[in-house]
Amino acid sequence: MKIGELSAIELDQRLRSGLMWRVGPFNVRLRTAIPEFIAPFHRLYAHHRWLAPSAPEVMHFHPTLHPGTGLRRWWRPQVRFELDGLSRQAPFPRDHALPLFEWGFNHGIASRAHQYLMLHAAVVARGAQALLLPGIPGSGKSTLCAALMLHGWRLLSDEFALIAPATGLLHPLPRPIALKNEAIDIIAALDPAARLGPVFPKTRKGRVAHLQPTAASVATEEEPARPTWVVCPKFLPKAKAELTPVPGDFAFLRLSGNAFNYEMKGASGFATVARMIRSCPIQDLTFGDLTAAVALLEAWTRETPPP
Amino acid sequence: MSDRSPGTDFLTAWRTPEAFLSMTVAQQDLLLRVARQHFLLAAFDARLEQAGCREALPVPLQAMLEGIRVFATERERAIRWEINRIQRAFHGTGLPVILLKGAAYHLRALPMAKGRITRDVDLLLPAADLALAEQCLLAQDWSAALSDPYDQHYYRQWMHEIPPLRHRRRMSELDLHHAIVPRTSRLKTDATRLLQAIEPVAGCVDVWTLCTEDLVLHAVVHLFHDGDFQGLGLRDLLDLDGLFQHFATQEDFWARLLNRAAELNLSRPLDHALHGCARIVRTPIPPEILRAARQASPASRMSRRMLGHLMERVIAPRHPDESHVDPLTALARSALYLRSHWLRMPLGLLIPHLARKWARRWHS
Repeated sequence: MKIGELSAIELDQRLRSGLMWRVGPFNVRLRTAIPEFIAPFHRLYAHHRWLAPSAPEVMHFHPTLHPGTGLRRWWRPQVRFELDGLSRQAPFPRDHALPLFEWGFNHGIASRAHQYLMLHAAVVARGAQALLLPGIPGSGKSTLCAALMLHGWRLLSDEFALIAPATGLLHPLPRPIALKNEAIDIIAALDPAARLGPVFPKTRKGRVAHLQPTAASVATEEEPARPTWVVCPKFLPKAKAELTPVPGDFAFLRLSGNAFNYEMKGASGFATVARMIRSCPIQDLTFGDLTAAVALLEAWTRETPPP
Repeated sequence: MSDRSPGTDFLTAWRTPEAFLSMTVAQQDLLLRVARQHFLLAAFDARLEQAGCREALPVPLQAMLEGIRVFATERERAIRWEINRIQRAFHGTGLPVILLKGAAYHLRALPMAKGRITRDVDLLLPAADLALAEQCLLAQDWSAALSDPYDQHYYRQWMHEIPPLRHRRRMSELDLHHAIVPRTSRLKTDATRLLQAIEPVAGCVDVWTLCTEDLVLHAVVHLFHDGDFQGLGLRDLLDLDGLFQHFATQEDFWARLLNRAAELNLSRPLDHALHGCARIVRTPIPPEILRAARQASPASRMSRRMLGHLMERVIAPRHPDESHVDPLTALARSALYLRSHWLRMPLGLLIPHLARKWARRWHS
C-alpha cells in the first residue's frame, strides 16, 4: 500500500499518531501535526510503502516534527525536528517543514547507519549495475543524478552511497532529490513531466525544491546493485562534456574523502574502498550542459562493460 | 501502548536479555528507543550477544544493532588512542597516567564496559602535578574547552578538576582531576589515600587505575555529585550495578568495600547507592550488606527514604514520545540538582554561583 494511495485526510490522521513507512532498508515512524508538511510529503513520497500497524516491525527511526515553542507557535511560527526526543537541528519557519525533515533525516542516517560504509555520493543504477557519482556540494552530482533518473536509470540515492562491507553491494535509499537554485529550473526544463515538489525560497542552502523518485526506483528499493562505474562530476559553465580517467591513488581519495563514516569503519572501510577502485573504471567528468553529459555517460557505460 | 512505564521492560531485558525475544514488537521498539535515549543501546546489544540472543533477532533489527556496535567499537578505539596521545604528552616528565571512570573500565577490560559509550577521558593527578600536566597537554594541541572567564575561575577555585581541555584536531575532551569531590564539598575525602592505592593496568606501561574498591566508590560519588540525571542518570546507576555484580565474585569484596568507604568518609553515599541499585535495578546485594551499609551511614531515616523516592522518580526513563516532563518528576529533578550543588559547596558560594548560571541561561 503506497502513501500516494492514501487520501490527504487519511495521511494527516496517520501522521498525527505516527505513520510507519519504509524507505530503502529503513523503517520509519514519523509523527507530526504540522499542516504545511502534508501536501509536499504526500507528493514526494507517493510511491513509498506505508506499513500497517497490524503487522508491526521495529522502527529504525522515530522522527517528529513539532510546532515551535512559546510565542513561536503563532508569531512567525516555527517547526522543530526531533529524533527520539533529541533535537540537533535549529528550528525552521513552519512552512519549511519538508526541507527540515529531509535534512534532519539525512543527519539521523549519517549518525546511525554505521552498519554501512556511507560515502558521500549520488548513486544510480541500470539493473544491478550501479554508477557512483561522488562529489562535494556544488559539483552538480544531484542535478546529474536527477537527469539520469529521468532518463530511465534507477535512483539509489542523491546523497548516500550505502555499501554493505560484507558483500560490497550498494543498498538503495530512494528519497526525493534535493535540487538547489538554478538546478530546479534546469530539471523542470529538461523534463516537463518531472514531478517536482514546491519551491522553498531562502533556505540555508538557497532556493530548494525536491524531485520525486520514480516509481521504478522505489519499487526496486530492496534490490542492491554492484558498484560498476565511478564518475566524479564537476559542473563548469560552458564546458564541453568530457571524461578523463583518474589514477587509482587519486580515485581512492575521491571516494574515501568527504565520506560520512569512512574513519569509523576502520579496516573494513579501507578494504571496501580498495575493492571498488580495483574493480571499477573511474573517470572525472567536466560538463556544462546536462543533456550532453547524460548522453556521454549513456554511451560510455554501454561501451565499458562491467568487469 | 502499555500501562507499564517504558523503563520496566528495559530493566527486565537488561537483566535477562532472553526476555527481549518474547516481548511484542511494540515493547521491543519502545525499549530500544529508551536504550538509545540513555546511550545504552550498544551496551544492551553486548548483553544480547553475551546471552546468545543476537542471532535470533530479525535481520533489520540486527542491522540496526550492528550500526550502534560499529559506533561503540570506534569510540573505544578512540579512547585508547587518546590515552596513547596523553602518554606521549607526558613522556619523560614522570607524570603518571591514572584513569578514572569509563576509560578505566575499558582498559581494565571489565565485562560491564562492553558497549559502553565513553565520551571523555578523565585523569587523576596529584594536586602538585596539575600545572605541569596542563602545560604538557597545552604544548600538544589541547586547549581550554570553556572560554568563559567565570567558568575558568569556578573550576580552578572550587572544583576537583581544572576546566576541561579539548584537543584542537580530534575534538576529544579531557578532564584533569586532583580529587573525586570538589574542594568545597561537604563530603571530605582525601585524594592522597586514593593515589596511594592505585593499581597498574596489565599490558600497559605506566597506566594506572584506582584500586577496585576506590573505583567503585568513585562511581558512587559520581552518581550523586556530578550526575545531571537528564539521560545519564540511568547509565550511571547501571554502571554501578555492573561494577557491583562483577566484583561481588571476588572474595571479601563487600567487606572491603564497606571498610574502605568508612576510611574515605563515603559511607553515606555508598548506602544510598547500594539501596538505589537494589531497589531500582534489583542488583543482587546480600541483605546483610545492605543492613551494614545502612548502619554505617550517618543519614537519618527520613532523608534516606526521601532520597530513595527522588532517585526512583528521576531515573525512571520517560516515554520517548512525551517531550514534556511531568511536574512531579521536574520537581524531583530540581531537588536532586539542588542537592548535588548543596553537597558541592557552602551556601555562601552556592547562591551567587546558581544566580550567575541562571542569569547566563536567561541571557542566551
